[in-house]
Amino acid sequence: MKQKKKGNRAAYWGLVLSLILGSSAVHAQNNFTISGKVTDQSNGETLFGTSIFLRGTDIGAITNEYGFYSISAPPGSYTLVFSYMGFNEVSKEVVLDQNMTLDMELVEFSTQLDEVEVTAEEPERAVLRKPEMSVSKLNIKTVKQMPVVLGEVDIIKSLQILPGVTSNGEGSSGFHVRGGAVDQNLVLLDEAIIYNTSHLLGFFSVFNADAVKDLKLYKGGIPARFGGRVSSVLDVRQKDGNSKNFEMTGGIGAISSRLALEGPMFNDRGSFLVAGRGSYAHLFLKLAGEDNSASFYDLNLKTNYNLNKNNRLYLSGYFGRDLFDIGGSFSSSYGNASGNLRWNHIFSDRLFSNLSLIYSNYDYELNINDFEFDWVSSIQNYNIKYDLKYYFNDAFKLDFGVSTIKYEFDPGQIKPTGPTSAINELQLDKKRALESAAYINAEHKLTDNLTAQYGIRFSHFNRMGGQPLNDYLNDRPLVYNSTLRIYERQDPIGETVYSKSESIETFSNFEPRVSLAYQLNELSSVKMGYSRAAQYIHLLSNTTSVTPIDVWTPSGKYIKPQLSDQFAIGYFRNFKDKIYSMEVETFYKTVDNRIDYIDGSDLIGNNTIEREVLSGESRAYGLEVLLRKNEGAFTGWVAYTLAKSEQRTPGGDAGGPGINNGDWYSTPYDRTHDVSVTGAYQFNDKWSFGANAIYQTGRPITYPNGQYQYEGVSIASYSERNADRLPAYYRLDVSATYRPNRRPDKRWKGEWVFGIYNVFNRKNAASISFGQNLETGANEATRTAIFGIVPSVTYNFKF
Amino acid sequence: MKPFYIVYICILFVAVSCTDVIEVDVPEAPPRLTVEASLDWEQGTAGNNQIIRLSTSTPFFAEQKISPVLGASVQVTNVDSGAEFIFEDQNNGQYTTSSFVPVIGNTYQLEIIYNGERYTATETLIPVSEIVDVFQSTKDGEDEDALEVNVTFQDPADTINYYFLRFQSDVDLLPELYYIKDEFIDGNEFTIYYEKIEDEDDGIGEFQPGEMVDIAFYGISEQYHDYLRLLVEQYENSGTPFSPTPVPLVGNCINTDNPENIAYGYFRVTEAIKTTYTIQ
Repeated sequence: MKQKKKGNRAAYWGLVLSLILGSSAVHAQNNFTISGKVTDQSNGETLFGTSIFLRGTDIGAITNEYGFYSISAPPGSYTLVFSYMGFNEVSKEVVLDQNMTLDMELVEFSTQLDEVEVTAEEPERAVLRKPEMSVSKLNIKTVKQMPVVLGEVDIIKSLQILPGVTSNGEGSSGFHVRGGAVDQNLVLLDEAIIYNTSHLLGFFSVFNADAVKDLKLYKGGIPARFGGRVSSVLDVRQKDGNSKNFEMTGGIGAISSRLALEGPMFNDRGSFLVAGRGSYAHLFLKLAGEDNSASFYDLNLKTNYNLNKNNRLYLSGYFGRDLFDIGGSFSSSYGNASGNLRWNHIFSDRLFSNLSLIYSNYDYELNINDFEFDWVSSIQNYNIKYDLKYYFNDAFKLDFGVSTIKYEFDPGQIKPTGPTSAINELQLDKKRALESAAYINAEHKLTDNLTAQYGIRFSHFNRMGGQPLNDYLNDRPLVYNSTLRIYERQDPIGETVYSKSESIETFSNFEPRVSLAYQLNELSSVKMGYSRAAQYIHLLSNTTSVTPIDVWTPSGKYIKPQLSDQFAIGYFRNFKDKIYSMEVETFYKTVDNRIDYIDGSDLIGNNTIEREVLSGESRAYGLEVLLRKNEGAFTGWVAYTLAKSEQRTPGGDAGGPGINNGDWYSTPYDRTHDVSVTGAYQFNDKWSFGANAIYQTGRPITYPNGQYQYEGVSIASYSERNADRLPAYYRLDVSATYRPNRRPDKRWKGEWVFGIYNVFNRKNAASISFGQNLETGANEATRTAIFGIVPSVTYNFKF
Repeated sequence: MKPFYIVYICILFVAVSCTDVIEVDVPEAPPRLTVEASLDWEQGTAGNNQIIRLSTSTPFFAEQKISPVLGASVQVTNVDSGAEFIFEDQNNGQYTTSSFVPVIGNTYQLEIIYNGERYTATETLIPVSEIVDVFQSTKDGEDEDALEVNVTFQDPADTINYYFLRFQSDVDLLPELYYIKDEFIDGNEFTIYYEKIEDEDDGIGEFQPGEMVDIAFYGISEQYHDYLRLLVEQYENSGTPFSPTPVPLVGNCINTDNPENIAYGYFRVTEAIKTTYTIQ
């Protein structure tokens, strides 16, 4: 029966495919194709998102991640136009009477020092025709003009001043997209999964701007080629390395320094990039006169080799580490490592393919020297992925591919470090899983004004055996005790040992993704989208902000995959000769099977997480407005988000009302209002200035509603979860960049960046804790503020 | 065991941040009965003298922190033997008996009648493990020069044990509370240290010679350990970004007449070791 069903499904997809392809193929027969690659003339970097079109027609294309494009048109004479943000537009006369290849090099129109090109698909104005919506893009020039704390360019912090993206406050890891949790973001660096995006607990991001080529954040309308997380995708790609000249770039800042080397290799058949960054050790803490230290470093590597015109290999890697030492008593290190080998193959002028073999790892260790033990934990995955892109014709393009990820979770091990250690050795059960997916997605121009993107992803998750699993009476690891009114952990009644060849549980999901763009007129369009996504692995974290020592866990017998549905609709308009643009979007997102933690949950070193969690749901909705000035000496934007993010966790099988009496409660990252204003002003050749101002509703928090005496201390009683809020957050930052006179014959180019973070030295509350004064015994509310006013100076150079 | 990770993360957090005391308007819940019924049988004593303290909760910022409950009736029954112990109202919030008979492993039930409502709780007398040594040192802890007091105990193998360890220095107002689970140290000799780090804001100084530290070490039930863990975690760390959202603490004193109106506090029955260490 099962077999038959599968057969039917395959036949169904075959039919759908042939219907789509059949009609288009006929249509395409009269056309010829121009294809090729677009690169930056100065360094040979491929340019992702270059817009290419035939002047006077609707026919056009955009280069893919590898700079490849393909356009089909009826025979004739055309003017082919290449345009890319920050580069001179190039026009080329072509006579199309056969299929042809045309590679193009574009020239940057300024010789400004910008080592990194974070590319946008078009100039940063509203993109009207493409159905793509809910995508955040930033140009690195803009990013670099933004004032940043401690002078370190931070891509993640820059994203947070766009609508729909927030952080959980200063000094907290990760970011939140449209009311989603940190673990609901898929973060990819050269396709490898990055499990922790922060250095030093969120003060810096793991991305070295000198090694990054471009990035895109999908807040919704996630293309079918991505999967595995329910909230967003941040797709970051590293530079390939300058294929024309050797080049050195770097910067010296107050907190860290960086250096990148790149250049051609393999007799000009390839190039390389090596970039490193490190903070000065003993950073914050040694300054405070303590015997403590905290530091980080990371390394980026990329190289590529051109086998021939149609085949190219890429190898990329990342390694980052954070190190802490607290007075010799505790020390810790953690970080991501990843590697990716890719093979680009061009089958024909219409069919492009990429095969990737990817490895990534996140691990941490804590050395508790006073008690003589180490605590280590890791997650690693191997991923094989094959993606294809077929350019049928101007009106129809198809993406399809398959991927499979093998996960290995080591939730924790305790290793005694000395013969006198009082701690016993312990290994929590290692877990294994396989996540596979196949997808197909079409970009289809239905009429002159209506373009659709539709696709489907089929995902399958196999929680593999090779571990024992507790059995509980009636399969209930938690039961509500209605007398004491608490959830009680149940004792296992037995254990089932699953062999490596068995599956503990399997899940599969169809994830449809659809979006439509309807162009109302030359200046405005309306877009709408729906997407469903499944997430099979979960970050276990019961703290307000995630921490580096939180552990990932796969779905299985007791924890089900998260499933999200998101609807979005938006209005996009350019005005005043596209100098200004406006984007307005609303969204509604629901997530099923979102777990939350029972009161008093204990996640550290816990082998039976199922006894700590209940399954619930979350929902978020909101309105996002982005108003930008895109051109001129003064550029900038105003972003406003009005949103609500909440969750509900009923008792379910465990009985009882659930968490917070089963009522809806705000998630810790709910922000009602979030406004950011960013501006950059180019004063003259030497000086430019930037500023941003941010206002946010305070984060939800739980206040005490009384106190009582117990064991000689004052114990606070707490009421409803997250029913109160921190005071509103706001701050103003400014920066100035000075580029000294440059002699054209000199290769050395330098610039100074001066910044002031939180100009008004406002003590924004990162938290308020309620406790007892140790001296007087009086209860008090203590506000913790992270950054007051922070001036910084950075020197950047290029040679 | 103490959550080391919280300590470690908070230290970094504190190092770059600044804190100040602010005024906050907090909600006010109606007062509730608070039960501090700690029947601790100190080793070497008969354990016959016991006190149960009853009070009601007050607003969080109230200056008067304790509001004694008078006129309640308090009784403890040994469920195994049927023996009943009446606690007499001392009209100051304390209810006492001098006839209590502790038996390790026996189960006791507390019954309180207050404001016409009946509260009950049940607990078993848990034995404590032996303290092997109490000594001072400087090498452990955050500061290598600061003194710490160490308590070494022997955990019995192959049984699950939970402990509560309480330090109270005679120069400090407030005690230091530790909850311990033998999950990672089963069957081993284990040392817990208490180090005081100088903090001018809090008026805390390092241990000084002559300072006397009362040490109490209790064998406790799993349920009480879980209660205490949450209580201590929330007392010490609540509200930082790296601590869980604070939640209502639920003890074991249930209200049989009005289940919604649950009492705060706990009814515990333990064996205890008490000693005093004088810093050299």
